Amino acid sequence: MTTKITRRQFAAGTAASAALLAGSAPFNIVRAQPKALKIGSIHPRSGYQAQLGLACQRGIDIAPRVLKQLGMNAEVEIMSADTESNVDIARSRAEKLINDGAQVLIGAFDSGQSAAIAQVAEQKGVPYIVNVAAAPQITEQGYKFVFRNFPTAPMLVGDGLNLMKGVFEKSGITPKTAVFMHCNDTFGQSMAGAIKAMAPRFNLPFQIVETISYDPQAKDLSVEVAKAKATGAEMVMPVTRLNDAILIVREMIKQRWEPKIIMSPGAPGFYEGQFYKTLGKFSNGMITNVPWYNPRSSITQKLLDEFTKAYKNEMFELNVGFSFEAVMVAVDAFNRAKTANGKELADAIRQTKIENHVMAGGTLEFDAKGQNVNIRSVTLQNLDQRPKVVLPLEIAEDNLALPLQSWSKR
Amino acid sequence: MISRLVDGVPRRALILLGLFLALLLVAPLLVDGYILSILILVLYFAYTGQAWNVMMGFAGQLSLGHSLYVGVAAYTAAALYVHFGIGPWAGVWLAILISVACGLFIGFLAFRFGISGVYFALLTIAFAEFTRVGFDHFDWVNGSGGFFLPVTQYSVNDPLNLRGAPVMFYYILLAITVLAFLFCRWLLTGRIGYYWLAIREEPEAAQTLGINVFRYKMIAVAISAGMTALSGVFFAFYYNNLFPEQIFSMSRSIELILGPIIGGIGSLFGPILGAVVLTVLAESVTEIMHALGYDIPGIKQVFYGLCLLVVIIYLPNGIWPPLRKRLGLGDHS
Repeated sequence: MTTKITRRQFAAGTAASAALLAGSAPFNIVRAQPKALKIGSIHPRSGYQAQLGLACQRGIDIAPRVLKQLGMNAEVEIMSADTESNVDIARSRAEKLINDGAQVLIGAFDSGQSAAIAQVAEQKGVPYIVNVAAAPQITEQGYKFVFRNFPTAPMLVGDGLNLMKGVFEKSGITPKTAVFMHCNDTFGQSMAGAIKAMAPRFNLPFQIVETISYDPQAKDLSVEVAKAKATGAEMVMPVTRLNDAILIVREMIKQRWEPKIIMSPGAPGFYEGQFYKTLGKFSNGMITNVPWYNPRSSITQKLLDEFTKAYKNEMFELNVGFSFEAVMVAVDAFNRAKTANGKELADAIRQTKIENHVMAGGTLEFDAKGQNVNIRSVTLQNLDQRPKVVLPLEIAEDNLALPLQSWSKR
Repeated sequence: MISRLVDGVPRRALILLGLFLALLLVAPLLVDGYILSILILVLYFAYTGQAWNVMMGFAGQLSLGHSLYVGVAAYTAAALYVHFGIGPWAGVWLAILISVACGLFIGFLAFRFGISGVYFALLTIAFAEFTRVGFDHFDWVNGSGGFFLPVTQYSVNDPLNLRGAPVMFYYILLAITVLAFLFCRWLLTGRIGYYWLAIREEPEAAQTLGINVFRYKMIAVAISAGMTALSGVFFAFYYNNLFPEQIFSMSRSIELILGPIIGGIGSLFGPILGAVVLTVLAESVTEIMHALGYDIPGIKQVFYGLCLLVVIIYLPNGIWPPLRKRLGLGDHS
């Protein structure tokens, strides 16, 4: 049996319940200022970006003890959160970290997630240092608490194309033709679009005779490589992920295609640990223009030593370096500001001027928008089955070796 | 109208519903920013779950591509706002219209040519996927580089332009979730609800009884797509950035339907309960692990998996139907 209730009864009940619940609101609790700088590290540590998010996390985790060795003695507490590779979760996790007392946020590898976190940081007045994310819009919103120590997408592509000319000049080999192969996921498409738009400005000496896009999940790229080979191009310009980079090189070996140069304008794949493990001596020779650590920096050497001790099976790469630098920026600002107050800390970050740091490029500092515009890509070449900086010459670890060595003579 | 909504509903159910609504109304006064962001997620999933439920729970048409409607509407409203300065409450109508048109097109292809069940589900995935690929190349909204809405400061809430603090978004979302709940109740208690029930249970028998199966399936698709579109507009203005890979992804479609599946497909309160279970409990699991000193990335996904496993094995109709019986709330919610 059911009993009907009137609208008035329903409304009265609702209002009474609301009043009762509102009356039970807890008192606001004032938190004491902690002595240590609490850094909220927020990265995708599960989901499809987990591998890269974990690399960033390693850079964050190792930073406090390396910074202590460098005389940056502030107490640092790292609080970590997982965005689950999801923009919705990134936002709520940023709220959580700030609620738990994080005084600076660092993250988040992905542009969408970083943009969501930036809104929370700005709203709460907590400085946020973007360690890895390239969408230019993140620092175009007029934020006062958001800083980025990573190149924007146009900076990445511009540097990648510009360095090509340096490679041709240094090696004395200038290809007349190139074939552009790129994966057709978001990253690949985005790079392809940027290259198409920006290439004319750089007066590149070669002509792109064919553009071949493919699915990065493909298990076989023999047709794509055969098509590329048929163009007779002197240079291959790939924008890859890891698996497709391996597949492309394997196919080139199988099909006995030996272009003079294989040079990526800026993409993962060739410099990743698994690439060397899988291809061994055939991994040598490939070139990538990418933001990278400065091997000549004393800080890099210290960081590398600690990293190798802590993570024997992991590779030290750009995500680790940029994440470390983000902590470095936060600690440096904290030491100068002598407070973790959001506004004062943000002001101190804005005044950052770090000459000696890890990643290649000029002084680590931020412009009025909060962007570090001094980061520069380098030319990496796979030599002795590891990535080595070959350009610019002032930080080069080895000599550029071109043309590509014949597969059969390795 | 109101009598139709509450007709036959036990007094106890209405009181509990009132208490629950009251709790949601005062929640922002009681909680901090983090919990508020979780509550926004709960409402978001409750609302989109409710929208999906119209198609699957009421009319029995399985869609695994609802991210299509979220994405298309999100991009439409965001592009109108960024390129032409048209506010979200004006843009939402075009967003809904386009989403409904997409839904009707898919529905027409499927229902006119007898595609149903798993094949219909595959068709919905296909449309979501190729729309994603299309948007990857759609330069007007910056393709795969992501489309960003200008973010303004939070000092003033501007509900007309959906610019403001999270608490404003919370109340807007609460309002549309409540309206969606009432709308679905109204649909279910009307003729159309009974037609859908017949189509869901036995389409051939429904056809024999004179129900225009094609027409009522199309209506279900249109309503579901239109409701889902509203959540897309909310998403665009709350997160202020859109990437095809994220908003049209298959995982987003799955995320949207987990709530109703776990809560109880076809029931009104199922999607809400499912959203609460998945979001609040999953967050709690993460927090408990943190409190115990374990930092386990992905523990939430494990929790989702376990929830699904338990529901599929022990509660095939979802959590809400048995709970409803236990609470003595009859068969109306």
